[in-house]
Amino acid sequence: MMALRRDGTTSTISGYAIETHGLTKSFNSFTAVDHVDLTVHKGEIYGFLGPNGAGKTTAIRILCTLLLPTSGTATVDGYDVVHQANEVRKRIGLVSEKLIMYPRLTALENLTFFGKLYRIDRNTLQKKSEELLEMIKLTPFKDKLVGGFSSGMKQRINVIRAILHDPDILFLDEPTTGLDPQSTRFVRDLVKELKQRGHTIVLTTHIMEEADELSDRVCIIDHGRIMAVDTPQALKDRYNTNSLLDVFLELTGRELRDSANERISMRAPMGRM
Amino acid sequence: MEKPITWDITLDIARRDLLDLWRSKMLLFFFVLFPILLMSMFGYMYPPMQKFNANTGTIGTAFPNLPVSLVQMDDGRAANAVAAQFIQISRQQGLFIVSETASYQAARNQLVEGKLKGIIIIPQGFSDALAAGQPATVQVTVDETNPTTASVVQSEISAIFNIIGSSMSTQNINNMDGGRVSPAFIMHPISVTGIPLISGVASSFQFLAPGFMALTVITGSLQGVAAALSREKEQGTMDGLLVSPIPHVSIILGKVMAQTVRGLIQGFLILGLSMLLFGVQIYGSPFIMFVVLLLGTASFVGVGIIMTAIAPDQETAQMMTMILQFPMMFISGIMFPIDQLPGWMQLIGKALPLYYAADALRKVIILNASLAAIMPDVLILIVYTFLTMTAAIPLFESAMRR
Repeated sequence: MMALRRDGTTSTISGYAIETHGLTKSFNSFTAVDHVDLTVHKGEIYGFLGPNGAGKTTAIRILCTLLLPTSGTATVDGYDVVHQANEVRKRIGLVSEKLIMYPRLTALENLTFFGKLYRIDRNTLQKKSEELLEMIKLTPFKDKLVGGFSSGMKQRINVIRAILHDPDILFLDEPTTGLDPQSTRFVRDLVKELKQRGHTIVLTTHIMEEADELSDRVCIIDHGRIMAVDTPQALKDRYNTNSLLDVFLELTGRELRDSANERISMRAPMGRM
Repeated sequence: MEKPITWDITLDIARRDLLDLWRSKMLLFFFVLFPILLMSMFGYMYPPMQKFNANTGTIGTAFPNLPVSLVQMDDGRAANAVAAQFIQISRQQGLFIVSETASYQAARNQLVEGKLKGIIIIPQGFSDALAAGQPATVQVTVDETNPTTASVVQSEISAIFNIIGSSMSTQNINNMDGGRVSPAFIMHPISVTGIPLISGVASSFQFLAPGFMALTVITGSLQGVAAALSREKEQGTMDGLLVSPIPHVSIILGKVMAQTVRGLIQGFLILGLSMLLFGVQIYGSPFIMFVVLLLGTASFVGVGIIMTAIAPDQETAQMMTMILQFPMMFISGIMFPIDQLPGWMQLIGKALPLYYAADALRKVIILNASLAAIMPDVLILIVYTFLTMTAAIPLFESAMRR
């Protein structure tokens, strides 16, 4: 069913923030995402877990309109990621593994630059930036070049860069990787705070306690396929353990995952799997 | 579905790129140093060239004060007079430093050791021949290991003996005819005088500077766009642009704009330096120059975008642009006249837009050509712009969402 939105666009009526059907992405002979059907509820934190190379990042990049799916469909906030990419883009925020920050711009300049891409008017943008900088306790550094910041500072500002335009859905791809315990704590609390503010959050992480602590539901994916989706507690109950790590290893196996698809790593440095 | 180009965001993207350059002081330093270095190098490599002027007897040289030796085997009066004249003219015009050596063998040894560039031999019987009313011969050996110097030395020696010979002819004719006929009429009944295309050109550099300007602007922005796009792709900031609701054309145009500004700054630095240091003069309209440079950039920047779209990383993209740009320097008529190249190379050279941009710019700067006069060049550049851009933009789009 289609619905006419207040802004004049039409979208699929669905109670879900994200919905995919048979979503598949192949790079030549390698299938990174293999017929994935998933649903993310509005307002939840959705933990997206899987070993390296399982297809998490590829799936997120498709949902963010950065990659085109090979087959299947995906809607974000009711909009099709292929045919209504621009509508999707207005409603999402992305924190990817690589920082989306220009080192030779100041904190405030970075926020202003990215904010303007969303056509936020100057005054609102200024107010919003200052308010968010205050929230992440970086107000004293707002006029310093981001290049000189510590990893923790960079990541905090990177997160608020993604929510400047108040996106309905926020994708956080390993937001705490490489951070010290203090910054990790801060970013996790920030994620909870963002949920409180009503953002839907898709979070990938390799830290199982983090997924356990933050996620309303987790989805464990391997070889491009969904292995299990449920609340962390239900999963732990199902496998009769009190650690999500055990569930994870039970589902994805204990051996190391070393695989390389040379053709892909050469051709698509952006499309990490 | 895509919105039309949003100019304010395009400008923002361009401004940020330029700010990046401005804030990296080291990069900025080398950015300015590059044209200075290029200019000084080539400026001094192509020194002022004076042409032989028969009326004043000036020869002029690009290689002043080369060491040569005179081997005098004849002790007659005429031989001594000719030798003295040769030494005097050489010194006066700063052509050669002339030493005298007793034997040809000794002089030849010095030449082999690299101490001499040429040997002039006045053979035995020189004076006798002249006294008997016969033409006399001077023999010359030059250092043939360096063909350029060899031909310069050879022709300068001939020029000096021409001057000496002419004055002897004049004297002979006057002696014979008592001044009834002009000696010049006997010696050179027909003479050729050049009317300069533009007056006051002191240096062949006048012809090189426009080419270098076009080269710098065009290759600078070609390489710049490829580097800027692939750098952002690699850094991850490109994701930040692509994930936002702006048309992708704005990203490309923003980058192109920034790199064009950078290219133009370097181009005009080159022009300024050539005017200051090497006396290059502009005879044409700065506005038309600007138009030509902009078109030149536009014509080729699409190729940079195509390369970024194809190349997996920044390094490869840079390598690809280098490979394109290096031969372009040599076969587009920037450093060497294109007519000097073999036919197939001329074809390649003329298939590249740099040739037309340089050609048009040269005509504007030196010949004060109007826009109408360079219209063929301009049209070709416009066609190039159209072709490369229509290929580049969709390719970039699909490469970004591969």
